[in-house]
Amino acid sequence: MQRALWSGFLRSSEKFADRPALFAESKFLKYSELRETACRVAATIQAHSDPGKTPLTAVFAYRSPTAFIGVLGSLLSGSGYVPLNRTFPIERTQVMLERSGCRSIVVDEGSLPQLKKLLETASSPLIVLTPDALDFNSHKQQWPQHTFVAAHELKSAQSWREPSFGIDSIAYLLFTSGSTGIPKGVAVAQRNVTAFLDYMVDRYEITESDRLSQMFDMTFDLSVFDMFVAWERGACLFCPSQKTLIKPGKFIKDMELTVWFSVPSTAVFMKQLGMLKPAQYPALRLSLFCGEPLPVSSATAWLEAAPNSTLENLYGPTELTIACTLYRWDPSRSPSESELGIVPIGYPYPNMGVLVVDDNLLEVSPGHEGELLMNGSQMSLGYWKDPAKTATAFMVPPGKNEIYYRTGDRVRRPQGNAPLTHLGRIDSQVKIFGHRVELGEVESKVRNACRFDGVVALGWPKTDSGFGGVEVFIEGQESAVEKLRAAIGRDLPEYMVPRRFHFMDRLPRNANNKYDRKAMQKLLEEGL
Amino acid sequence: MNAVTPDAVQDFLREYVVKSLRGQGREVPSDLSDDCDLLLSGYVDSLGLLELMTAIQDHFGREIDFDELDAEQMTIVGPLRTFVVTQLAGA
Repeated sequence: MQRALWSGFLRSSEKFADRPALFAESKFLKYSELRETACRVAATIQAHSDPGKTPLTAVFAYRSPTAFIGVLGSLLSGSGYVPLNRTFPIERTQVMLERSGCRSIVVDEGSLPQLKKLLETASSPLIVLTPDALDFNSHKQQWPQHTFVAAHELKSAQSWREPSFGIDSIAYLLFTSGSTGIPKGVAVAQRNVTAFLDYMVDRYEITESDRLSQMFDMTFDLSVFDMFVAWERGACLFCPSQKTLIKPGKFIKDMELTVWFSVPSTAVFMKQLGMLKPAQYPALRLSLFCGEPLPVSSATAWLEAAPNSTLENLYGPTELTIACTLYRWDPSRSPSESELGIVPIGYPYPNMGVLVVDDNLLEVSPGHEGELLMNGSQMSLGYWKDPAKTATAFMVPPGKNEIYYRTGDRVRRPQGNAPLTHLGRIDSQVKIFGHRVELGEVESKVRNACRFDGVVALGWPKTDSGFGGVEVFIEGQESAVEKLRAAIGRDLPEYMVPRRFHFMDRLPRNANNKYDRKAMQKLLEEGL
Repeated sequence: MNAVTPDAVQDFLREYVVKSLRGQGREVPSDLSDDCDLLLSGYVDSLGLLELMTAIQDHFGREIDFDELDAEQMTIVGPLRTFVVTQLAGA
């Protein structure tokens, strides 16, 4: 049988039964223990399955053992999992649950207070499982349309049967923020994620003695790397509590982590808070960053603190399954290969193809910039129940006969063996009085001129032909604006020099902690 | 150097939360009580708290060793304020 996302976990649970698979909520779970409960959850979901529907199970749990049991239990039942997050506004969670059409939901104790609101608005009956020991009698009376399964009512692990799956079986359905404000679900198939996993596990030579961080919430697809790369080879996954997340340095040391994976922002803040002192994290052998541009200054500071670590910058939209290009930092070569002060995104994974195109979707010549299009074995199934959006983003460029995914990211097409460099988002390129302006370039100059890494440039005000100028949001304390403007003016033409600088303690971010350009746009529209 | 008053820290925290919530288009609380947990209340997320700590350093112009404060306490308005005042008064 073809390999599934759960296959590696099952193998490790036999080979490394007594080794720890997970540390969460201050306790360790052995592989055998995690497997036992996950199989009970899986058997229960299987007993309630509806053959007429796409099998999907929601996991409404946060940084608890049940969160991981829920993910594994869903997969082992033959369902794709749909992560929900109680730290998100409940309205968003309601939309995600409703749009996914999940039939079952696994809930942890901490998410129970919010469960009632989900049950009230659910349009079809749900099977509600909680592997945490709880009594559901009051729920049963209040919501007779739903079925509740408490810990002691879960089926036995012996009754679980390994499911069969098809070529397009969904491994997980993940919601990303949509441009209309309604989250869109990206459906990732088993075959997409096993292709990703095979490459990662081999490349990083993960073994059972590795200790991996789990910084990402499950609603961020980078969490899939953490869980399944660890479990594929019998390693242990360390999940900090919500509070421990604010002490990442202490967590690395206390847990003796060997593999670190986070968004670059975490490194940026750690640097500012004095958490990147030289040789502070000697046990780290691998440090990975993904999710947003990685500033060169953060990469070098990180490596000083983790001198025994290899550092790689990963890139990839959810639609191409977690990450699909990578770049290994090399102190001798990388500074000159970086562009705009940002570490390159590097080279595509095996089985992934790259096409860099102009506005007419025609390939640009080497050395020129354009939109990054990619395809290959990690290209996902598209947007859940949204064929129109899928057809727009997953399309056949003129002169080609294969489907590519349009990333919306601007890159430079490499010359020779050079790495891909990320230059910003397509929509970060604006016209100012007819000049084409890459906002990423403005951001880079501002970043150099002030000491803050959090910089977002926007075109403003709107004109018929584009924009009248650039305005900049800076995450940090207000500093001498005239000096800043003069420094930037030495490097940039007048039309690119920001008209105004808006200093904020914290720039607006979306649910995945990326800068929310639309929210900043709105602040400008409201007359900031 | 003049001592930083608890009120100054409280004002800074309140302004920070107000800006953060406005940025997300969310409702702003009228006041921050001492037992308000910035993280668990959803006012500020974990990355936001890291940022808040850097903002406190920038604003008051001093490095603060936040590792001295327990993570359980660090997100709660009263203990955080007291800690910052003490750190700024010391050394």
